[in-house]
Amino acid sequence: MPLARFVVPLLLAGCLCSAQGTHAPAVNISPPAPTVAATVSATPLAASTACSDAFVTHRLNFTTGMRLREIGTYISNGAGVAVNDLDNDGDLDLVFASVDGEGEILWNEGDLAFTPEPLDDRFARGVASVDVDADGWHDIVFTHRGLDGVTYWRNTGGDAPRPTFERQPLPGIDPYAYAMAWGDVDGDGDLDLVTGSYGAELKQHGIDPPEDDPKAGVVLHLQQDGAWQSQVLDRHAETLSLAILDVTSDGQPEIWAANDFALDDKVWQKAGDGWQAIHPFVQTSYSTMTTEWGDLANDGRRALFTTDMNPYDISPRTMAVWVPVLNQLVPHNRADEVQIMANVLLIGDGRGGWQNQATARGIDASGWSWDARLGDLDQDGYLDLYVVNGMIAADLFGHLHNSELVEENQAYRNRGDGSFDRAPQWRLGSTASGRGMIMADMDNDGDLDIVVNNLRGFAQLHENQLCRGASLQVDLAWSASQNPNGVGAQLALYTDKGVLRRDVRASGGYLSGDPVRVHFGFPADARLDRLEIQWPDGAVSVVATPQKDSLLTVTR
Amino acid sequence: MMHQTLTTPHTFGIQTALPLLRLLNPKQHTRIVLASLIVGLIASYTAVALGWLPLWGATAMVLVILLPAGVLKWRDDYHRYGATIMGLSILVTAQGLHTVEHLVQWAQYNLLFLTMRQSNGLLSPANAEWVHFTWNWLVLIVVVALMAGGMRGVWMWLLLIVAGFHTIEHSYTFIRYQMILSELTAMDVLNVTAQGLPGIVGRDGWLARSELTRGTWICTIPGLTTAVRLDVHFWWNALEMTLLLIAGHVYLRTRAAAGKFM
Repeated sequence: MPLARFVVPLLLAGCLCSAQGTHAPAVNISPPAPTVAATVSATPLAASTACSDAFVTHRLNFTTGMRLREIGTYISNGAGVAVNDLDNDGDLDLVFASVDGEGEILWNEGDLAFTPEPLDDRFARGVASVDVDADGWHDIVFTHRGLDGVTYWRNTGGDAPRPTFERQPLPGIDPYAYAMAWGDVDGDGDLDLVTGSYGAELKQHGIDPPEDDPKAGVVLHLQQDGAWQSQVLDRHAETLSLAILDVTSDGQPEIWAANDFALDDKVWQKAGDGWQAIHPFVQTSYSTMTTEWGDLANDGRRALFTTDMNPYDISPRTMAVWVPVLNQLVPHNRADEVQIMANVLLIGDGRGGWQNQATARGIDASGWSWDARLGDLDQDGYLDLYVVNGMIAADLFGHLHNSELVEENQAYRNRGDGSFDRAPQWRLGSTASGRGMIMADMDNDGDLDIVVNNLRGFAQLHENQLCRGASLQVDLAWSASQNPNGVGAQLALYTDKGVLRRDVRASGGYLSGDPVRVHFGFPADARLDRLEIQWPDGAVSVVATPQKDSLLTVTR
Repeated sequence: MMHQTLTTPHTFGIQTALPLLRLLNPKQHTRIVLASLIVGLIASYTAVALGWLPLWGATAMVLVILLPAGVLKWRDDYHRYGATIMGLSILVTAQGLHTVEHLVQWAQYNLLFLTMRQSNGLLSPANAEWVHFTWNWLVLIVVVALMAGGMRGVWMWLLLIVAGFHTIEHSYTFIRYQMILSELTAMDVLNVTAQGLPGIVGRDGWLARSELTRGTWICTIPGLTTAVRLDVHFWWNALEMTLLLIAGHVYLRTRAAAGKFM
C-alpha cells in the first residue's frame, strides 16, 4: 500500500517515569532510569473505507490437518501462526505451522491479498518470527510435534522482491520442543529462547517416562555471542505455552510454563547465576492451554489470563456433547490443590499476590479453549479478549459427527473496568476449530485484525470493520543492540482518557508468534500527551504528543 | 381419632431435656434394632467382599434389613403419640441417615481427596439424581403433612422454605438430567451417565453461569455460586437437619408441657 511517508526527527525530552509516581513510603527506591534520545518517524495509517460494524471473515490459502483421514490426540492440538514484516515492506506477513504437512509463508501484498510460499518444514507445532541474529530481518523458528525439536530459518534479506530463508542450526539447541518463548531473559541485550516439551505426546512416541529423557523438559537457552548455552529448568513438562514476563514486579523477567493435565504451571525466577522455582499463583487452570497478559482497566495492574476446557454455556445440548468427555477428564483432588478446570484471570493485589477473577469478570468459560489474545478490538482504550476453541479427536469425541466438538469462538468486549461482556455482534463466532492465533493490523488501516490457524480447515483472517476510535502503532528499532526490535520493552501511552500500557513481544499465546508492532486503541477524541518507552535495558525514551492514526518507528 | 395412651416410666436426665432422644429411643425394640443392624452390616460386608453387590446395593440391603424393626418402632410411636409424632420420628430417622450419606460424600471429597465423581457416598452411586429427586420430594411432603398435623411454628416454616428450595434444586437437576439423557440418546450415546451436574446454585450452576448474571457479583457469592455441588448439598442438608431437629425439639417440648408426650 503506497503510503506517504514523512520523517519527523525529534530530540526527545527528558521526562522520566520516576517523576510521575506518587509519594509512597520509602521502599525499594530505584535510581532514575536514564533517558535516551531516539528519533521518530511517523507513517499515517489509512482509515478503513469498509465499515460494517463487525468483523468480516476471509478464508486464507492454508490448511492443516486436512491430509489425515482421522485426527486423534495429540494431532488434535493443532499448530500456530506467526506474524511480522518479513520483507521489510511495511506490511505484516504471516507464517503458518502445519501438523501434517509443510509450513507456509503468506506474503502480504496489501489490501488483504496474500501470496503463499511453502516452506519445507513439516509437522510443526509452534512458530515465531524473530530476528534471532539481529541483522534487521525477521527469521522464522518452528517447534514440532513428535520427537523433533526446533528448526531455525534464517532470513537472508537482500534486495530481491522477497527475501529467502536458509535452514540453519541453532548450535547446541536440540531438546524436544512443543512450545517456545523468546525474550532477553538474562538482560545481556540479546534474545534468549525457552523451550518446553509435551510429555503426553512424547509417551505416544515411546519416550516413557519422558522426564528420564535428557531432551525432555523446560529448557532455557541463553544466547551469548551467537552461541547457545542450555540449562534445564524442569524435566517434567507438559508445556503448551511459555511466557517471559515480569510476574513478580521485581523489574526482572521470569519464565512461566503453562502445563497440560495435573502438572502444575511453573514459574522460575532468576536467583544468582541460576533459576529457582517460585509459586506465586493461588489458582491456575487445570489444562492450561495458553498464557496472555495485559492491563485490563488501565490502572497499571497487570492481569494474567489462561485458558482451559469449560463449556461456554450449560444448555442440555451443550452439556450432552461435553458430558462423555467430562466423565473421562477427571481432575485430581488434593489438599494443596491450585488447579481448576476453567479459564483463570489472575489480578495482582499489589502485594505480590494474585486473585482469580475470571468468573467475576465473565470470562471463566469459553469452551474447549486454545489461544486467547487481548487487544483493543473496538479502539475504546480497553483491551478486549478473543478466544478460539473447538476440538477434533476420534478418541475423545467419537460420539460426535466427524469426531468434532464444534464451538463458536468467543469474543468479549471490555466494559471499561476490566470485566467483559460477550460480543456476538462483532461476528467473530467462527465455528472452525481454532488453535494458534494472532492479532495484528494486517491491512494497515490502524485497527487490529485477527488471524487463526484452524485445524482441519482453512485458516481465517477476521478483518476488523468496526471502524471505531483511533489508533497509534509503534515499531521499535534498536539497531545498535542484539535485540533490534526491543522485545521486552514496556510502552505507556499517556492520554487524557488514561494511561495505556503495552509491551513488545516476539512470541506468545498458544504456539504462536506475536508482532513486534505494538497497537494502542483509544477514542477518536482522546488527546495523546506522550508515549513513554522503557527499553529492555531500562533506559527510557519519551515521544511528546504522538500523532494519532499513525505508525511510529522509534529508533534508538 | 382416639389413640391408646400407654404409660411409660418417667424418664429424667438427658432424655427429658432432649425429648427427641426419647422419641428416637427404640425402647423395647432396641434388641431387634441392634440385631438387624448387625445382621445387615455382616451381610452387606460379605456381599461387597465377595463381589455380589456394589456398595450402594449393600447399603440398600442394610436399610431393608433394618426396615421391619423400624416399622415396629414407628407403629409403637403411632399408638403412643399419634400420627404427627410418628411422622416426625420417621423423618428425623430417615433424614439422619441421609445426613450420614452426605457426610460420607463430604469426607470422601474433603478428607480422602477423592475426585468429585468418586465421592459418591454410600447409596448415591445407584443414581444420584433419582435418589435425591425422590428423597427431597418425600421430605417436602412429610414436612407439609407434619404442619397439617399441627406441628407448626417459625422453625417449621423455615424448614418448609429450605426443604422447598432444596426440592426445586433437585427437580431442576433431575429435569436437566433427563434432558441431557435425551440429547445423549439422540446422539446414540447410551452408556454415559449425566449425573452429578450442577444445579441452580453452586459453582457452574445456573445462577453462576446464566447470561443474566455473567460477570456480576452474583457469580462469586461465597458458597452460593462458588461451592461445588457436593459441598452445596452437604451444607444444605446440614441446615435442613438442624432446622428439623430444632423444630422437633420445640414441638415435643410443647407437647410434653401439655402432657401429650410423656
